[in-house]
Amino acid sequence: MNSMEKAKVLVIGAGPAGVGVAIGLARRGIKPVILLDRSERVGGVPSLYKVKRGGVPTFVLWTQGRVIFGQQMAERLAQKLQGSDIEVWLESQVSEISPQDKKVTVVSPNRGRFQVSADAVVLACGAREKTAAERGWIFGSRPSGLLFLKNLLDLMDHCDVRVVSRPIVLGSDSTAFTAAAILRNAGASDAIVVDRSHKPHCSLPARMYFRRWAKPVYHEGAPAVTVTGTQAASGVTLANGAQVHGSTIMICGDFIPNTELLLTGNLQVDLTSRRAVVGSDFQLSRRGWFAAGNILGDYHGAEWCYFNGRRVARRVAEYLSRPDNRAKYSSPV
Amino acid sequence: MYDWPGVGCESSLKFLDSDELGPQPFDVIVVGAGAVGCALAYRLSRFRLRALLIDQNFDVGEGTSKGNSAIIHTGFDATPGSLESKLVTHACRQWPILAQKLRIPYDPCGAVLLAIDEEQEAQLPNILKKARANGVDDVKLLGRSEVLELEPNVPSYVRGGLAVPREAIADPFTAPIAFAEVALANGADVLLGAGIVTVEDPGAEVKTLVTSSGKRVTTRVLVNTAGLGSRALADAYAGQPFDINPRRGQFLIFDKVSRPSVRGILLPVPTPQTKGVLVIPSIFGNLIAGPTAEDLPLGSPDATWTTKEGLKAVLEGAARLLPDLKRQPVIGTYAGARCNCSQGSYLIRYNDRHPGILTVTGIRSTGLTSSPALADYLIQGLTDNCGLKLEERADALDGRPEHDLPGWWRRPFENTELVKRRPDYGRLICTCENVSRGEIIDALESPLKPRTLDAVKRRTRTQMGRCQGLGCLVPIAQIISSHCGIPLPSVTKKGPGSELLSS
Repeated sequence: MNSMEKAKVLVIGAGPAGVGVAIGLARRGIKPVILLDRSERVGGVPSLYKVKRGGVPTFVLWTQGRVIFGQQMAERLAQKLQGSDIEVWLESQVSEISPQDKKVTVVSPNRGRFQVSADAVVLACGAREKTAAERGWIFGSRPSGLLFLKNLLDLMDHCDVRVVSRPIVLGSDSTAFTAAAILRNAGASDAIVVDRSHKPHCSLPARMYFRRWAKPVYHEGAPAVTVTGTQAASGVTLANGAQVHGSTIMICGDFIPNTELLLTGNLQVDLTSRRAVVGSDFQLSRRGWFAAGNILGDYHGAEWCYFNGRRVARRVAEYLSRPDNRAKYSSPV
Repeated sequence: MYDWPGVGCESSLKFLDSDELGPQPFDVIVVGAGAVGCALAYRLSRFRLRALLIDQNFDVGEGTSKGNSAIIHTGFDATPGSLESKLVTHACRQWPILAQKLRIPYDPCGAVLLAIDEEQEAQLPNILKKARANGVDDVKLLGRSEVLELEPNVPSYVRGGLAVPREAIADPFTAPIAFAEVALANGADVLLGAGIVTVEDPGAEVKTLVTSSGKRVTTRVLVNTAGLGSRALADAYAGQPFDINPRRGQFLIFDKVSRPSVRGILLPVPTPQTKGVLVIPSIFGNLIAGPTAEDLPLGSPDATWTTKEGLKAVLEGAARLLPDLKRQPVIGTYAGARCNCSQGSYLIRYNDRHPGILTVTGIRSTGLTSSPALADYLIQGLTDNCGLKLEERADALDGRPEHDLPGWWRRPFENTELVKRRPDYGRLICTCENVSRGEIIDALESPLKPRTLDAVKRRTRTQMGRCQGLGCLVPIAQIISSHCGIPLPSVTKKGPGSELLSS
């Protein structure tokens, strides 16, 4: 580790929130801004939802009253970055952060491991779906065919998912209904959606929207469901003993923030909800470190995250103009 | 002689073509490639003989050996004078050197046995006496303040305890892999994905084993270390009957942030029924709580399933030792099935109804620890009872060389020079445990040629981090698919029947 890069602001994560921060900073004339992401493209989670002829658009542009594909959302973000001074580093994974000296360790295939120091660092690492263990109501075996929605989207890029008959979706928020619609649209049969609550979490308008593609059946699985099958998944057993058969079981929705990096740097994280603990100015438990987007823990759509990023950019700019002014820093909410 | 292309189907094994194998029977066939079977193959491979290790699964250590507590026991609480006590105490002394030679991650973190109430405190002298009788002399009685000094996060009302300084943790996945790799390098053969359905002429000098796909292999000595499958195999050669009940143990895996709350292993005072729920640091930097002890009928499919009640019991039991655990994030759960034999633990039968057949079963919780000593003990027994002739080979390897080994502890992404030479080491596929594409390819190229997602997982720690495969499952499947020429949906989790997508 010999090389050391310097930046005014380093933004970790090039999803909607990270791009929002970078754009906000660039418009204020702050540079150099480095925006990095572990994947090969800009756009974060939306970029996984590919444009398909006859596919299911799932990303809402509230400002324009339209529903578009995630990939289109990602392309809009990438367009915004073009022509700006923002340095975008892709395939760059942050392996650890050291808040004391405002340094971040990055690993990339072409440069190996190196450090970047910055006057301010923004963590826009997003959120991921909770695992079965983290949900606390899914038990039983761990066979093949037990997939997260992200796994399915990854698979759909490379192979045909029409082979999936009778998918079971665990979780019932809009992501779960998205999964059901995407699967049905790709040729699988209607999904069975299982969650703990009496009614699905997904809002009625969203459910009505997805009915164009799929009419999944909802089952209440409270208080626990058991995944069955030793080699391949054979289905789930609900708490009332009812058996639901299916070879592909999707674990959907129910997000948890990606706060792993904060933990490597001893930044404060609420251990139960795993949210980054921030003040009203989005500043983390150490000055000069900010969080933006779904890492904050209220799970919003891509557009909200983008505008949240813009708001965080304003706070970062304020911090950079007077870094020693502590008055702005309120106690963590 | 070992080849495993494609999806790893047994039919593609080259050496089973009769012309290549020839009429030559093997000297020893070990059926069951768990910790015990692999250790036996490893020790046997030092000698000039033809040995074969067979398992029905598509990787070694895929049964009981993968779902345990990963403790290297001192044997302080074993029944004094028993074979288990003898082997465990002996093996425990071998482990530090063995781990170094075989490159098995090993941490002598020590253990503290906690007495929470008066009743438990009264039992401490008995346990101490037992430890002395087992030859574990360094076990020490601790007062309340000494316990709290060693483990400050245990309940403040703790009454006292015992320090067991040599109790250690090891990497349970690497152990059988390392044993089998050395055996393979020394010329032993490994045949995976081959269940034995029939044993022909068990009484004859040369016995014939028929696998599920109809292949035949012949041997002079047959060793049954098939764990939960040992009963079915014993029936195939009509050995003396015994009963196996899988004893399920469920575990909770806590996040790495929880690891600093303990220094070493926390043990409860055992009851006559069970050793109780322990809190164990894992060699990977997590914290593990478990196991439960639930006896299930043989063949019941849920032997490795988790249940709500079981995991609740684990959390409650563990919280008695470490109250803070109730607040700590759980990242995963697992369950393993111990090979519990009603006829006693460490059931060893030489010439089991037929000359040249050895049955080894009932190895419950201490199998990983005792495996190297048990292997030596069995080899001695085979020469004494089954007429196995041993001639030491001068050129036999004793350990694994350090270089070009896949192993999660290497972290090649940290070495910039290495990444510049091979950019794949900088392409992190699993971002929870920081595993690069290069390491996954190394694992696929490793001597046992793993081809399943779970086999890659046990070698690299992909899918074992916080997100449990959310980010990396499909990218790894794609690497397996392109590297081994398997269509993506047909990449399996643990062999045929567990494809990524099935109808």
